[in-house]
Amino acid sequence: MRSVTWLAASALATSQLAGQSLASRVDAVRDGRVLMTFASRPGVCGDDRGSMWIQGSRKSWSTGDREFVCIRSPVRVAIGRADKQSVSVRTRVGGRWSAGQGDVDLGEVSPTDAAEYLLGLAHTVGGNSADDAVSAAAFADAGDQSPGFVRLIRDDDASMDGRKQALFWLGQSDYPTADLVRLRESLKSHTLREHYTFVLSQRHEDAAVDGLIDVARHDSDPEIRKQAMFWLGQMKEPKAIKFLQDILTR
Amino acid sequence: MRRTLPSLALLFAPFVSPAAQSLGERVAGSDGLTQVVFPSRPGVCGDGQSTIGNVLGRSNYYGGDVQFSGHGSWSDRPCVHGPARVVATVIGREVTRLRTYVGPVPAASADTRTITASASDASAWLSDIATRGTGRVASDAILPLVIADAPQPWPLLLRVARDDSRPRDVRRSALTWLANGVNDHLGIADTRDNTDEDEMRTQAVFVLSQRPKAESVPELIELARSSKHGSVRRSAIFWLGQTGDPRAVEVFAELLRQ
Repeated sequence: MRSVTWLAASALATSQLAGQSLASRVDAVRDGRVLMTFASRPGVCGDDRGSMWIQGSRKSWSTGDREFVCIRSPVRVAIGRADKQSVSVRTRVGGRWSAGQGDVDLGEVSPTDAAEYLLGLAHTVGGNSADDAVSAAAFADAGDQSPGFVRLIRDDDASMDGRKQALFWLGQSDYPTADLVRLRESLKSHTLREHYTFVLSQRHEDAAVDGLIDVARHDSDPEIRKQAMFWLGQMKEPKAIKFLQDILTR
Repeated sequence: MRRTLPSLALLFAPFVSPAAQSLGERVAGSDGLTQVVFPSRPGVCGDGQSTIGNVLGRSNYYGGDVQFSGHGSWSDRPCVHGPARVVATVIGREVTRLRTYVGPVPAASADTRTITASASDASAWLSDIATRGTGRVASDAILPLVIADAPQPWPLLLRVARDDSRPRDVRRSALTWLANGVNDHLGIADTRDNTDEDEMRTQAVFVLSQRPKAESVPELIELARSSKHGSVRRSAIFWLGQTGDPRAVEVFAELLRQ
């Protein structure tokens, strides 16, 4: 009977651990680093030197004298904790952390849980940490993250770095171009609107060209209009070039 | 007596007046720093130490060996009309660097020789460097050529820009200055973007200039030749000069004839 009781208690503890949210596991750590690993989306690459990207058709690329060779690896995230608060996020693909004494390693976690948690965390951490949290979510093998990206983009209290990064990854996702065009209405910040012109220009679709032309014609800020014109000029769309030519002959 | 004259000539040969030497020979005559002071064009001004204003139009300013344009902290510097001063660095009897100033001539330091020259002598010397010099010094010679109170340097710069044997940087520099010269010649160097529409048009020219050359150069040529908007034309001429494309040289030659 006692052994049956022990077995029942043990099963309960395991199920509690499994049900314990990633957030609560992180929050349980007062100070130090919380490390986690999760599966990356197909195409995610690292180079063991801190660079991360999503692979296009090329296996490697270079800038200057540095060649970036894709090493496919899980995503690694280190969350810095201080006085029960998450104060920093660092993301890597490939390599391994040099674990310190105060580190708590959660091991491999669900990429879906990780992406959801990190996108939530991106609302409160600042600067590069927000940037890294969003990137980690974008790299996670976790399906569509666009609702989380949109929530972050619209959060005026979140850091600008995180919101810009969310806008970038939203543009890279399968989020419909028509919705991306409509998103402009909710972008109040100059920085976001400027970044938006680039993001939209990366969608080589008719609706994106029309959206950019609309920005170039009607945005209240001349600098944003100029930026939209610049990105129109970088597109290989005849309609974009015609728009620029028409400005010159009016 | 017949025998004496040649001997006297030989005797005096080493003491030929420095004025008889070309300015280039005099500058390169000894290593170190030599400043050549000569008249600048009317209107050109500077602080004598860094900034130069009113080179071609009102808003081009150049600081010593640093080029910049537009308005900003540099425009707070005094701009006084005065002579041009080119400080040449000579190493191994070769001019290796030129720095140009306009305005009050500061007291020369002990290690700097000063030569006062006519604008035409200075222009001849600088033309020689621009057409035959190697490296950066050939490009450096173009600014003082433009500001010397001498005949316009555009024919010379057209030759430099067309000369395949000249270094690419020198030809590009000549083309940039030719673009400024063309805008000045056409009276549009000071055309400003007065309206929102002007600003957008100028941006459109820049954007088109960033397209592949096969597309951008013909577009810029067309705008440079015939745009009805002064700001568009000015901007197209400027960006055409930045392309380094040989077609630009012929367009500039044509526009300078207008």
